[in-house]
Amino acid sequence: MSTSSEQKHRSAGPPLGTLIGDRKLVVCVGSGGVGKTTTAAAIGLQAAIRGRKVLVLTIDPARRLANSLGLSRFGNDETQIDLSALPEAKGELWAMMLDQQKTFDDLIERIAPDDERRDAILNNRVYRATADNISGSQDYMATEKLYDVVESGRYELVVLDTPPVKNALDFLDAPGRLARFLDKRVMKWFLSPYDKDRVFGRLLTSTSAVVFRLLSHVFGREFLDDLAEYFQHFRDLYDGFRERQEAVVEMFHDRKRTSFLIVCAPNGPSSEVARFFLDELRQRRMPNPGVIVNQRHLTLGRKLNARTELGETLTGLADGLPPAAASSLAARLGAAHRRMLGLSKAEGTIVDSLLQALQPEQKSWQVPRLDDEVNDLAGLARVGACLFDASET
Amino acid sequence: MDVRKLLNSRLILVTGKGGTGKTTVSAALGRLLSDRGERTIVAEVDTFRPALTPMLGKKPVYKPSAVAPNLHVCNISWRDALVEWLRGHVPGQRVVRRILDNNLVQTFLDATPGLRETVILSRVVTLLETYDRVVVDMPASGHAISLLGVPNVAIGLMRGGPIRERAEVVLRHLSAPTTALVIVGLPEEMVVNETVELWERLQKEVPTLRRPLVVLNRAALPSLSQDERTLLERLESQSAQTLSPVQQELIRAGRWEATLEQGTADSLIRLDDELGVEVIPVARLGALGGFEGGPARIVQQVASTLARAELAAAQPAHGSAGR
Repeated sequence: MSTSSEQKHRSAGPPLGTLIGDRKLVVCVGSGGVGKTTTAAAIGLQAAIRGRKVLVLTIDPARRLANSLGLSRFGNDETQIDLSALPEAKGELWAMMLDQQKTFDDLIERIAPDDERRDAILNNRVYRATADNISGSQDYMATEKLYDVVESGRYELVVLDTPPVKNALDFLDAPGRLARFLDKRVMKWFLSPYDKDRVFGRLLTSTSAVVFRLLSHVFGREFLDDLAEYFQHFRDLYDGFRERQEAVVEMFHDRKRTSFLIVCAPNGPSSEVARFFLDELRQRRMPNPGVIVNQRHLTLGRKLNARTELGETLTGLADGLPPAAASSLAARLGAAHRRMLGLSKAEGTIVDSLLQALQPEQKSWQVPRLDDEVNDLAGLARVGACLFDASET
Repeated sequence: MDVRKLLNSRLILVTGKGGTGKTTVSAALGRLLSDRGERTIVAEVDTFRPALTPMLGKKPVYKPSAVAPNLHVCNISWRDALVEWLRGHVPGQRVVRRILDNNLVQTFLDATPGLRETVILSRVVTLLETYDRVVVDMPASGHAISLLGVPNVAIGLMRGGPIRERAEVVLRHLSAPTTALVIVGLPEEMVVNETVELWERLQKEVPTLRRPLVVLNRAALPSLSQDERTLLERLESQSAQTLSPVQQELIRAGRWEATLEQGTADSLIRLDDELGVEVIPVARLGALGGFEGGPARIVQQVASTLARAELAAAQPAHGSAGR
């Protein structure tokens, strides 16, 4: 059933390089555990080999990948990756691992009007809790840092590896969330009882008064006071947040500068998330040239008889081993192949159905599952070879 | 935490890296416990696309619904949980409606740090009043840490009030001896790294949590003998030119199998060394890796594995022979 489709998929999709072209930003989205970080790094490496200065911005790379790339795990350091093992590389590859807390602190540092205000915010208890512990801020921080490095002009291409999110919308909405939290109207409403010189206007209607009393009851007055202090600090920073948020959203929509790539694995849950991203990106009119299917088990697509194919070779190699070893290994290889074939076919069905959801202009790429986990430049180059055409420049 | 304790726990929290099979394990626990006559609910947490649907055959919504005798499912959506919470804490339906109709208040409540998580966890605790067993299909690693860390944050931030009180109740339940944490992993290096880190970070955020149990999904248990491995290596050292594409593919299949088995062995050793917790390997299922029969069947098979692990643990003398 999937023989022909597999052959088709194997060659499906034009080389990624032409699609990325001179984009400034490539965003890899998808569920967790599908090789997003590896894909982002492989794309970055290919672009660097082709002469561009690239930054891969990642959230939480696997330890060995990070180590082999010489990435420090904290502190938002932009680290240049040593490409001397790849003499053909004409550009530069840089990598950075996102440090949430530091990103938030840097942001406050930048937009706070003076040191006093900055310190007051950094020491506020609600701020510490928000930056550190509350889910969702990681997503926001990724986009915040992204804006920073793209706008810096230090790189010709930035490849972003997005955080794995349970709800796929979280990431795309992230720029808006913090700004919404700091929404002027909400702050004004919330802070009105705290403003000494406030005038009783429409905002503190009887409803608001009731609600406010209620909130005091629910949260405790002290927490509301802390929160009010937090809001008061942020009130004047709101415009700074909003500006950056709008800039990030604009960047996401700019077809000349940005491409979103959906990364998935050939299993049910991951392809569901991929399909969801396809819909969301389309509805939001964000540029999405297609889907990368990672970790594919590719086979010739038919049953093979291990005993017929390898029996003689095995017997010839079995010197010094028990006589049964050759035939038992043949049986094991046959069983392993049947398993792999079954898996490959099941994956084929899932992938076929996912690819039906693509628009005519969207492409797909399939990366076979490599025997070893990818954790060095050579591995990244092998992944990249499935996405980019060697002749592309 | 061993498997017997797990299956006797009242509250079971299931987390792990994305894509490891958290929902499958949650559904399997639900099946197993409800089959034993325990009134059980499997809860997803504020998810937009409930993953339980194909496994237990019904899309979970906020209100618990029955999928089998003794087995219910639900999806703890934050808005619904908030409404219920407010109804429980605020006298008068009119006031609650006024709160919920006010957009500014809505935005404020959405954005108030910790409220969402506290209200969701509070609902989990409420479920314990109705059900013998509550299995929570938690978000993946990072988000699970945020979720479970919130009661401590809320206690730190609020000096009084119902939210703080509720956070204290939640924290007591999270730390109770009748609560079990399950981390689902796969026999892959990256996933094992994340599993180890997840527990390290959870311990930091919620020091009172009890040690977890790891379910290692898609484990490839050893089948190749030493002689077979040696012969496979000899086969692989053959020059590629002398081998047909068909032969190469068979050898690749052999290497694939050997790598999976080695990966499983390495993962079991690392989890033991670095976490020192009990690990239940769940073998790849069926000849085709569990793809035949669909999600509901996989859930049944994982449930059987857990039941067998419990039996083996009950008979330590025969434990290793019984595998």
